[in-house]
Amino acid sequence: MNAEDIQQIFFVECEESLEAAEAGLDELKAGTHDDETINAIFRAVHSIKGGAGAFGYVAMQGFTHTFETLLADVREGAVAAGSDLVDLFLLALDCLRDHVDAAQSGGDAPDDAALIDQLTQAQAVNAKPEPSDAAQEEEAGADQAGNTSTADQDLDALLDELMAGGDTPKAAGTADKDGKEPAGWTVQIRPHAGAMINGNEPLLWLRELTELGGECQECHLTELPALDEMNVEEGYLSWTFLMPADAEHAAVADIFDFAGDNCTVTYGEQGATNTAATDTATAAPEPIPTPVETTDTKAAAAPKAAPPSEAKSAEVPAKAEATPPTKPAAEAPVRKQTQAQVNQSVRVDLGKLDKLIDGVGELVIAQAMLTQRLANESLAHIEELSMLDTLVRDIQEHAMAFRAQPISSVFSRVPRLLRELAGTTGKHVKLEISGETTELDKTVIERLSEPLTHLIRNAIDHGVEGAEERKEAGKDPEGTLSLSAEQKAGRILIRIGDDGRGIDREKLRNKAIANGVVDPDTQMSDEDVYNLVFAPGLSTAQSVSNISGRGVGMDVVRQNVKELGGRITIESCPGTGTTFTLALPLTLAISDGMIVQVGEESLVIPLAHVVESLRPIDADLKGMGSGRQLLNVRGQFVPIVPLRKIAGSCRVADNPSTGVLVVVETESHGCAALLVDAITDQRQFVIKSLDTHYRTVDSVAGATILGNGRVALIVDVDHLVQSEATSAASALHPPTPSQTAAEAELAKVA
Amino acid sequence: MHTITLPARCDRSTTIALFPELNDAADDADVLLIDASKVEQLGQLMLQALAAASRCDGGIEITASSGPFDEAVRLAKLDKMLGISGAAQ
Repeated sequence: MNAEDIQQIFFVECEESLEAAEAGLDELKAGTHDDETINAIFRAVHSIKGGAGAFGYVAMQGFTHTFETLLADVREGAVAAGSDLVDLFLLALDCLRDHVDAAQSGGDAPDDAALIDQLTQAQAVNAKPEPSDAAQEEEAGADQAGNTSTADQDLDALLDELMAGGDTPKAAGTADKDGKEPAGWTVQIRPHAGAMINGNEPLLWLRELTELGGECQECHLTELPALDEMNVEEGYLSWTFLMPADAEHAAVADIFDFAGDNCTVTYGEQGATNTAATDTATAAPEPIPTPVETTDTKAAAAPKAAPPSEAKSAEVPAKAEATPPTKPAAEAPVRKQTQAQVNQSVRVDLGKLDKLIDGVGELVIAQAMLTQRLANESLAHIEELSMLDTLVRDIQEHAMAFRAQPISSVFSRVPRLLRELAGTTGKHVKLEISGETTELDKTVIERLSEPLTHLIRNAIDHGVEGAEERKEAGKDPEGTLSLSAEQKAGRILIRIGDDGRGIDREKLRNKAIANGVVDPDTQMSDEDVYNLVFAPGLSTAQSVSNISGRGVGMDVVRQNVKELGGRITIESCPGTGTTFTLALPLTLAISDGMIVQVGEESLVIPLAHVVESLRPIDADLKGMGSGRQLLNVRGQFVPIVPLRKIAGSCRVADNPSTGVLVVVETESHGCAALLVDAITDQRQFVIKSLDTHYRTVDSVAGATILGNGRVALIVDVDHLVQSEATSAASALHPPTPSQTAAEAELAKVA
Repeated sequence: MHTITLPARCDRSTTIALFPELNDAADDADVLLIDASKVEQLGQLMLQALAAASRCDGGIEITASSGPFDEAVRLAKLDKMLGISGAAQ
């Protein structure tokens, strides 16, 4: 692994740290002020700082230093995390993201001077708070007590000894009876040869320890040989640092994140020897136990006694009181444990992962071929084949899971976008997120960011009204943007909804007519009209802003979603709001399907759409005119859609009663019954893109290779049913000759 | 007396390049003079090489040093050994 590889790991970890910090700040904003949340934010920022220093990103390191200094004050209880401060932290996090982006792209670091000033001022203001009445009273009381403080400390010490049974040693961080500073704990580091390569430099670690309040006690030279016996590339020095009692072990461990096995880090109490050494830099240190039980949740949650922070919080009682109640302290260790479990991961190069997926795809095809071959020999039901089928399915599911990522990685960027939009448009919008744990293929996740961003910008800029207009309409002055994700009918549905003014149907239609996109005589359903939003160059925005309004983005959004094998639909209600629904495939590689015969062709119907299959009796069929038929499925009539159009064969059953009907469910057009000649098999299939190997074909989602080696087309059920519905509507309302051009345009849009 | 002038960047590669000269020069009975006035960056490998050289017969003398050099030496708690004045951090 070279320096560039390590740097890439740093950027990946930056991304994770930024997400962790954002999530933590969201929790803070929502009122969760427990120690673990604040620690998580601190650790995330500190981790970025460590890497920034190691890789020479001076500006980023400087900024994160200021950022974490203020965070440290919050962590120590010296500063209360009020809403203003959380907002400042969010701005700082945005700036930090810009720093990371700039470092990654090789661009200039962002101008952070103003923000650094704000952070510094916030720290300065909070470091010297105006004493509140309560604090003044306490201070006065303390003054009156005069020399009794020493006696109080003696009493505290005696109580400590009594409660601990009299023979428990004093914990690190507890002031002794002379009022001396807490003893603290030690960390010994011993860098090896590998610690001096790949951009690592042990002296930077020493500096980091110093910045955490550590003091170098000793540089150990015992291993240093004579100059002429030295291997110049080997490390011979080790150091012992005394860390303050309130220094977090986790923060120290973060320093050595990139060291791996190249540095031995040993933790101990002051004066302790090296007996409890661990050979890994990242091994979690044992927390120093709190000797005395306490009802103070903060003290109980901390891995150590913390009298200094109690003293600090007493200086700002008014702010401390303003802090919302903390979560039960007992939750903290549980969450730490859970986090440790979650973090047990291995980084794998994406290229290697893709090769694995390709290999699994070929395995599925080979298995299908083997099955076919055995079936020809009347051995289709042997036990070994069934076992192989189970194993291949397991491997396939696990392999696909490697590529699955929660959509939260996309959703987590939205708060920043809303903050930026609030700055430019003056519209403050609440964000409601649900289903953020829904998993999608990594490629889909990566390519989803752009269309999602555009839809949100549009929603805020044009959908959500200004505060005054909302008040007049009897709405909350603050708008709401809702984001949701769910798995349904074998697809992922992502909804982006606003509670704004909705799409003005007539205005949009008139604009389309004025632009020549549609003919004035064209009969259009609401859906047709809303789909005009995606027509190139069409926008009903009153004014063009730097955010949206030129009508050049929505067609790109639709194209992006289509390229992902997805579809986008719109629901809008005047005065209530608009919701865009993106229906995306779960995976881009392997799926389950029903193999059907249509004429001489085999087709694949994705199993996720299939509800049931049946041979209808004549009584269940009802003609509609224009040669169309409906199927009565337990009282519900669904349209029958023949698959002959896709198969392109004349020798296809046209009479439903002589074929098989496969009832399918679509995401936006309800159910339909696909007419096929026969169902031949049900199995996994590997999706091959037709766009890549041939060209886009309407109502065909791709192709696959069957067990007999032949190519079969995969039916795009949603598109097929939708196009049948559209043509059925046209049959009921025949177009005039002048509508031909408009329909062609609409067909592109729909 | 031999004088070695340390370059601005005393990182791993510099130390590997300078080490033979340092080793040869420290072999003499005379004190080895080190000019560290141009040093802007100092790594552990150079530090421990200087520390080992200071244990040789003639020892070493830092004739001039830059702020970053002093800071790194103090940070590593080698200020007394290498004769850097000022309070250790």
